[in-house]
Amino acid sequence: MAASAVVMLFLYLPLFVMVVMSFNAGASVGLPFTGFSLDWYARLFANTQIMHAIGNSLIVAAGTVAISLPLGVMAAVGLDRYAFPGRAIFRRIVLLPLILPGVITGISLMNFYIINGVRLSLATIIFGQGTALVCVSLTEVYARLQQLGRSQYEAAQDLGAGEIACFVRVILPNIRGAVVGAALISASISLDEIAVTYLLTGRQNTLPMVIWSLLRREATPLVNAAGTLMVVATAVLVTAGLRLSRGGEGSGG
Amino acid sequence: MWLLPPAAWFVVFLLVPYLITAYYSFGHMQSYRYVPGFSLANYIRIFSTAPYSGAIAQSAVIGLLTAVFSSLAAYPVAMVMAFCITRPAARSAMYVLVILPWWASYLVKAYAWKTILGPHGILNSLLVDLHLIASPMTMLLYNQASVVLTLTYIFTPFAILSIYASLERIPASLLEAAEDLGAGGVEIFWRIILPLSVPGLLAGAVITFALGFGDFVAPALLGGADTLMISTIMINLLGVANDRPLASAIGIIIAGLAFLLIGLMDWAERRVTVRL
Repeated sequence: MAASAVVMLFLYLPLFVMVVMSFNAGASVGLPFTGFSLDWYARLFANTQIMHAIGNSLIVAAGTVAISLPLGVMAAVGLDRYAFPGRAIFRRIVLLPLILPGVITGISLMNFYIINGVRLSLATIIFGQGTALVCVSLTEVYARLQQLGRSQYEAAQDLGAGEIACFVRVILPNIRGAVVGAALISASISLDEIAVTYLLTGRQNTLPMVIWSLLRREATPLVNAAGTLMVVATAVLVTAGLRLSRGGEGSGG
Repeated sequence: MWLLPPAAWFVVFLLVPYLITAYYSFGHMQSYRYVPGFSLANYIRIFSTAPYSGAIAQSAVIGLLTAVFSSLAAYPVAMVMAFCITRPAARSAMYVLVILPWWASYLVKAYAWKTILGPHGILNSLLVDLHLIASPMTMLLYNQASVVLTLTYIFTPFAILSIYASLERIPASLLEAAEDLGAGGVEIFWRIILPLSVPGLLAGAVITFALGFGDFVAPALLGGADTLMISTIMINLLGVANDRPLASAIGIIIAGLAFLLIGLMDWAERRVTVRL
């Protein structure tokens, strides 16, 4: 019990420190805490480079969800319905981008774009992240389908509903929570992603890429404020996503 | 056919790129142009010349330390989640508490440690205020230890979830039976809980190792002159040096190592898993 509390403290203390320091009036990244101020947030919102990057990140997140969600849902329905040879291999391949370090997916897609003469842009990031995050939608929706069972679907088929009608009127209403949840979680991961994004970025930078370049130059308290916003966004999106996709029942991964 | 679109997508956007990378890795650069070929020169160079082979060895050490430390940190939390928290609401709250730091921005987490360990960081300020040290220590940051600490921090939540997934499946009846037969807490842990949690422990450790091995964010932000990791080299090769074939070969080696470990894990899991 005590060891577990220490580990949880270890997990939250660094983030907590960053959040507190983002309200520091002083100009140093670290202590002393010279007083409460929203100054760094004001500067953050006044920084056009960062605001532009936030806009880019939102575009990338929306595009990523638009690609990964339909593919993940289709793969989940397929995996849930058919037993076929190579099923295990298919699941493995979908999970690859999650298990392999992100730079591997990054360099592979970069080579792919180069060979096809595609110029790096926000679109190249979207295709990369969209591919890497299919596993998130697949996992969330597949878990929900497994809970659901087959009886409703089979009843609808017996009553003459076609494949599309079945999906739209029987399956979709039942997995709606998981679908919306998966979208929120994917969006949150996309907003933070750097390992895959790094090698696929052209002229347009996402927020993590801008923070990365800021950090390479100097540590500025501006990053405390930006980091706090990113952590808050993750907390909101992931909590809402888990609640929707698992109906408040937290189990499994 | 539901599977056709996703399968086709994965072939085009994942398998084909991986294959292209493998193909590139056998060629070489000549006066800034890529020349295709089928030579193992890049691989020989990586395994036999100092910066590359040394970086692979160091990445392996860092990955291993990360895997060991995050598994050790994760185990007690997973135990508490599986056996001490019984109310479903409390359990799902705990689950969210563990998963939030896992999905929080990777970059932000590495940055947070940079500010804590830095010369004006919380740790140094605290030690100076307590008069334990006279002036801020610079040795806290920019070395292998700070990279391992940060990677351990980043991957501990993942290890918790992985171990918990195994512990959750242990039926309470098994533990009760052991207790009725007179086993103490320690004996139950060593003879029942730990062996049954091996699959989750192993899966968590292997993936943590692979991700730590291939990381470039933590060494760039917190590593020093002594921490040269293989992914950092790969990224540098793509930048100024513009040696894509060599970088691709490094990518293939990292991927190959990850596959090898996952294969070993599957094999080990089949051998040690007890059917319940």
